[in-house]
Amino acid sequence: MVNIIINEWKILLRNRAIMYITTVFVLSLIAIVWIGIFQNNNQKDIQLSAQKHIRNQWDNLKPMNPHRAAHYGSYVFKPVSVLNSLDDGISGITGNVLKLEGHIQNEIVYSEASQSISISKFGKLKSSLVLQYVIPLFLIFLAFSSISSEKQTGRLKLLIFQGISLFKLIFSKSISIWLYGVFLLFITITIQALFSTIDSETIQRLIFIFISYSCYYFIISCLTTYFSSAFKNNTSALSSILAIWILWTIFLPKIWGNAVEKIYPLPSRQNFKSIMKEDRAKGIDGHNPSDQRREQLKNKYLVEYNVDSLKQLPINFDGIVMQADEEYGNLVWDKHFGNNYSIFQKQKRLYQISGLLNPFSSLQNLSMGFCGNDMIHHLDFLKKAEEYRRYLVKSLNDKHAFGGSKTGNWKWSADNTFFRSVEKFEYKTPTIGDQIGHYVIDIFFLLFWVMITTLLIRLYINKNILL
Amino acid sequence: MKKYIEIALIEISHLTRSPFKIISILFYMIAVIYGCQNGYNLFKKHNNEIMSIKADYEESIEKMLVKYEEIENGTLNKSRRDPTTPYWAIWNTPSYAFKYPSSMMVFSLGQSEQYGYYKRVTNWSSTFDNDLAEEIANPERLAMGTLDFNFVLIYLTPILLIILLFNIGGLEKDLNFDNLIYVNNISKKNWLLSRFSFYFVLLNIILFLLLIPYGLLAAVFQNEAISFLKLSLLILIYNLIWFLIFYLINYWGKNSPDHAIKMISTWLVFCIIIPGAFHQVASLKYSTNYMTDYLDVSRDQRYGIFDLPADTIQSKLLKIFPKLQNTIYAADTSLNKSIVDKSISGLVNVLNKEVVKKIEKSNDDKNKFVKSYFILNPVVYFQNKINSFTKTDYYAYRSYRKYIQSIIDKKIDLILVDTWNNVNVNKGKYIQYVKIFN
Repeated sequence: MVNIIINEWKILLRNRAIMYITTVFVLSLIAIVWIGIFQNNNQKDIQLSAQKHIRNQWDNLKPMNPHRAAHYGSYVFKPVSVLNSLDDGISGITGNVLKLEGHIQNEIVYSEASQSISISKFGKLKSSLVLQYVIPLFLIFLAFSSISSEKQTGRLKLLIFQGISLFKLIFSKSISIWLYGVFLLFITITIQALFSTIDSETIQRLIFIFISYSCYYFIISCLTTYFSSAFKNNTSALSSILAIWILWTIFLPKIWGNAVEKIYPLPSRQNFKSIMKEDRAKGIDGHNPSDQRREQLKNKYLVEYNVDSLKQLPINFDGIVMQADEEYGNLVWDKHFGNNYSIFQKQKRLYQISGLLNPFSSLQNLSMGFCGNDMIHHLDFLKKAEEYRRYLVKSLNDKHAFGGSKTGNWKWSADNTFFRSVEKFEYKTPTIGDQIGHYVIDIFFLLFWVMITTLLIRLYINKNILL
Repeated sequence: MKKYIEIALIEISHLTRSPFKIISILFYMIAVIYGCQNGYNLFKKHNNEIMSIKADYEESIEKMLVKYEEIENGTLNKSRRDPTTPYWAIWNTPSYAFKYPSSMMVFSLGQSEQYGYYKRVTNWSSTFDNDLAEEIANPERLAMGTLDFNFVLIYLTPILLIILLFNIGGLEKDLNFDNLIYVNNISKKNWLLSRFSFYFVLLNIILFLLLIPYGLLAAVFQNEAISFLKLSLLILIYNLIWFLIFYLINYWGKNSPDHAIKMISTWLVFCIIIPGAFHQVASLKYSTNYMTDYLDVSRDQRYGIFDLPADTIQSKLLKIFPKLQNTIYAADTSLNKSIVDKSISGLVNVLNKEVVKKIEKSNDDKNKFVKSYFILNPVVYFQNKINSFTKTDYYAYRSYRKYIQSIIDKKIDLILVDTWNNVNVNKGKYIQYVKIFN
């Protein structure tokens, strides 16, 4: 088998056209990875400077009432992952800026896609675009005639007469073509690792990416070679594998993606907002002094501090009410956003199941997942931002309640030292070890396809092709 | 000529004998129907959502009218947010800005899923508010895009053509009898042209037969007949370009696999590589805007205005809105903090408008850059052209933002003039406000 693979590579290297194309591929990949990293670093700098700008404003807040500061709020900017330069996944269409403030849980806004006319439907020219669309197609072009040409020229019979099994011959040809894809993949991943600042976590992610793409290239190489052996001529082999490629890469992802949203529908924004508003109204209204639930809370505190009126309280009851309102709001948020997140997860799982028919969707999921740019990572960022919002607002409400002011004294101000003492938001992308559970289905289906295509060659090669 | 018409007609039997091609055409037809249906569903959804919001706000208008009656009868005391003052009356006048979907939306969803299409407008609003976020949707699905007719036409039509055309003239070369054809006094050029013409006619007939029912369903011919004609012309031109490219490939090609490889590579270059490259370059040149300028206005600069002394705010208002000088309050020399406070949104709006102008300009620069390379990136040109016919492109939503701004301006104008003229709002005046904003 090794001899056949070496021989195939010798033939490949002797072909000038292939050498030219390979050179072009390698140079293009170097350029694409480098530009990707450059663009990524550029975007990262802008994101960091925006975050710094906002933090500076917070650090330089002049003395003000903590509740006013809660309305003033803060902003967080979605960070750019290191491997964004390889696959930017959903980052182009999700928002980038999230306002964190009291009473309200805002949504992330200002996506890149909303800032210009529509450009590419398949995303930016990043390594993933080449690795997912161009290289597999090139492997198809290399493999579609690998057996049928041997058949047409009668060389196939000669090779078999020399004692090699048909399976070994076809499998070796698949492997030699697969190795070509792996070679280009290796170059891409190596350049990515060399040019960007990476840590052990990124290396782990790159290894996973390498394995995922290798599996996909194996599937494509084996399937094309199988078709090449199964069909009478090159034309039939090529048209069949191209039809499958189109179905996998263009048709199925879109159709299945739309279908999962219909199977697990999300509420409309208007509906979602009005239901949340309704539920929120059942809690305490921090700004409404005649609210009944506020009265109950007031009585509780009067008893606790053994006083008759709010004025006698050593603390500021307004801060207590605001925090109670906030905590109720958090429960409402957990319920409704939690419900949305659970729908998203269900949709994701159902989409992952399409890997049974379409290994390309498994590859896409894994690629953006390992690059930290899929929905799982996006939702993680939103959850962490919400956790920070709760911390921020609670700190301000606690200061309002226990910072030394009395109930009704809205003119009381917290000083700048206090605002500076509030921790800043720092987001750390979850480790792939913690997240891998989300991708088990994709990994399983990719391996399933590797097995299927190997078995296809092993068990279903028609010996009649020799006749 | 007759000979070539016959050649074109014989192509029918070639086609019917190829189940692979027939299945591809059927798949394509399903994709067109599916794409139009997706467009129609979104068109209906937008309309229904708008209707439901309108029903809600009509209910709130009724409630306000009852409130005014009760105040006028003396059965209800004025609340903290006194509705007899112009400020709170206008605040309570529901005014939504809607972006009504164009009937043509059935043919292209464009960028409609990236923007909000309804907004409650107040005097404190701006065109980049949080509530203008897009509908709740799965981000991975959004990134993949919806299969609409635009996608089918721009990306799948060339693929169908590859399947239909790659062995036209190629099969004869594969089997080495192509020269037999030319010895029959048939020119290669015309022979290929006749066969290609058959598929050109067939494709366009299929497209229009499928588009017309959806056009009727969404009342396109009543509302957007001209846009539909433009779209039709664009479809013909787009298809013609691909036919021309594939014709040249087949004319110069060696055999069917050679045609297929060149055709799919051309598709890959024009539909994926070139748009992807321009997308990457555009984001390199014009990085994602984190809108810090806008955030500064909506927070720091706004708070800065709140902290100004009332007399400074008043003089600023008089400078920016000179017509206020003719109002009752302006003639009064005493300072009324309540009136000044209710007018602050006028100053904030000026700041908002300035920063929005800057943001829109930076977006426009990016768009200009992308558009200046349309000659090298024709697929994206066609894609955006269709989006513009269906009013689902960036510019349609920019116009919508301008419309929102015009409502904000109108609200502020009314608040300022009526507040400074000490207008007392009763039921009649409130109805006037409702009419102005609806």
